[in-house]
Amino acid sequence: MHRPLSVTLCLLVALALPGCKIVKTDTEGENAAAAAGEAGDDARIAALLDKTYDAELLPLIATNAMPVADLRTAIAGGLEAAGAAHGNKGSGEGAAWNFAVKGEGKVVEANLTSRARKAMLDTDGDGKTDLTLQLGPVIKGSSLRDVAPFYRFGDFRDQIEFAKLARALNDQASAALVVPEGELAGKTISFSGTVDLKAAGDAWLVTVVTLAVAP
Amino acid sequence: MNLNRRLFVGSLAAAVSGILPTLSFAQGKGTIAIITPSHDNPFFKAEADGAAAKATELGYEVMVLVHDDDANKQNELFDSAIAAGVKAIILDNAGADASVAAVQKAKDAGIPSFLIDREITATGVAVSQIVSNNYQGAQLGAEEFVKLMGEAGDYAELIGKESDTNAGIRSKGYHDVIDQYPDLKIVASQTANWSQTEAYTVMESMLQANPSIKGVISGNDTMAMGAWAALEAAGRTDVIVVGFDGSNDVRDSIIKGGIKATVLQPAYAQAQMAVSQADTFLASGATGVEEKQLMDCVLINADNASKLETFALSA
Repeated sequence: MHRPLSVTLCLLVALALPGCKIVKTDTEGENAAAAAGEAGDDARIAALLDKTYDAELLPLIATNAMPVADLRTAIAGGLEAAGAAHGNKGSGEGAAWNFAVKGEGKVVEANLTSRARKAMLDTDGDGKTDLTLQLGPVIKGSSLRDVAPFYRFGDFRDQIEFAKLARALNDQASAALVVPEGELAGKTISFSGTVDLKAAGDAWLVTVVTLAVAP
Repeated sequence: MNLNRRLFVGSLAAAVSGILPTLSFAQGKGTIAIITPSHDNPFFKAEADGAAAKATELGYEVMVLVHDDDANKQNELFDSAIAAGVKAIILDNAGADASVAAVQKAKDAGIPSFLIDREITATGVAVSQIVSNNYQGAQLGAEEFVKLMGEAGDYAELIGKESDTNAGIRSKGYHDVIDQYPDLKIVASQTANWSQTEAYTVMESMLQANPSIKGVISGNDTMAMGAWAALEAAGRTDVIVVGFDGSNDVRDSIIKGGIKATVLQPAYAQAQMAVSQADTFLASGATGVEEKQLMDCVLINADNASKLETFALSA
């Protein structure tokens, strides 16, 4: 994202100081340190996460998170309208609407033996699962990236760099989760996170950013 | 042959309209060039067919060309299209870096390009880049593969043609997911160049060297078909195969309980979208949408395979 700027700066510096030799050092700015092209992806993505994850993404989710019941009501009135009012659409045709969501519920069933751990939650007290929490370490999807209007496909070199951002965000979120040992079923969990929906009737698969299990 | 006939018709039309500009068919909206890889792969044929159908519907003539994934040939085709005075170019390109110059050349000649399927490494050169989200599609395929494998076991990977950007993107997308499961072990990984016959041979030798193989993840459907044929011949129909593209062949195999899953790229719809954007751009000077547009892929398995027809999923 900042490459054009740093290139311009380098160019300006080079023009202003024609007699100087530009020496690359480790103390240059974070953007200058990242190699161009795919080789520099990890460094660029890490820098972007440092800059945006705590400062922008988590506050965005905290501020926008709607209670589960309110979001369901909004979506019942049409996914497009609910998305436009409360969500953010991923890049491109066929992309999902992404919402920040928070809630509390009783664990109906949990799978903690998979690498993609999950807890199925009943949030409306009818005893049936109405959403699934992703507990990592493997997290599916890109809703953490796509919920944020400030991560835009057009700002990235290609789909690989853009996908690396989604993966890095998922890894950061999942690393911060503390999932208690032992049986989860029957326990009450409160959470906040993001969910992506392509159709109003899609099952909710929530990428969790905060998690608390009632003792 | 197609090329020659259409070029001939094109130049004939140009010649006639040059003499008699009031002739009725000269009032058409001009010609749109549609340049893709070889139609031997039904995926690219679906693209070309989708684009041609939309262009004809909107009142354009079409010039359909294939570059066979050869950047030099693509360059020559651009020269032909520019010389023929086409109004716009719909392109599934022959290399992310190598294609930038050709698209720039068309732009310099006042001809806008609309890219489908694969992206190029520069922006501001093409008017639109409608990119199949191969990475997201590969992740979908890999997630299904992991589930089918029960998160454990030995597997093999068939990789596409190295010169094709999407071969690498898909492989990376697969590994992004699969490598998070330490009990899934890759025992063989080899290119079969998108080819069904090559995949058959490669699968045969992989199986011989690694009889423990429990699953095969393939960079596209033609290679998945080749691998499945080899597995059938070896009596190993227990092996889980997952492909990519959403071809009718693999659809039929899924319905019969052969190959387990594939990932659909909406080729036909994507090509039509590119032509619509070209039409809007030619009429108004803007498409109204961003240059780079991602288009998501869809997982196809036994649940929805019957709804798949010629790279499009019915509701």
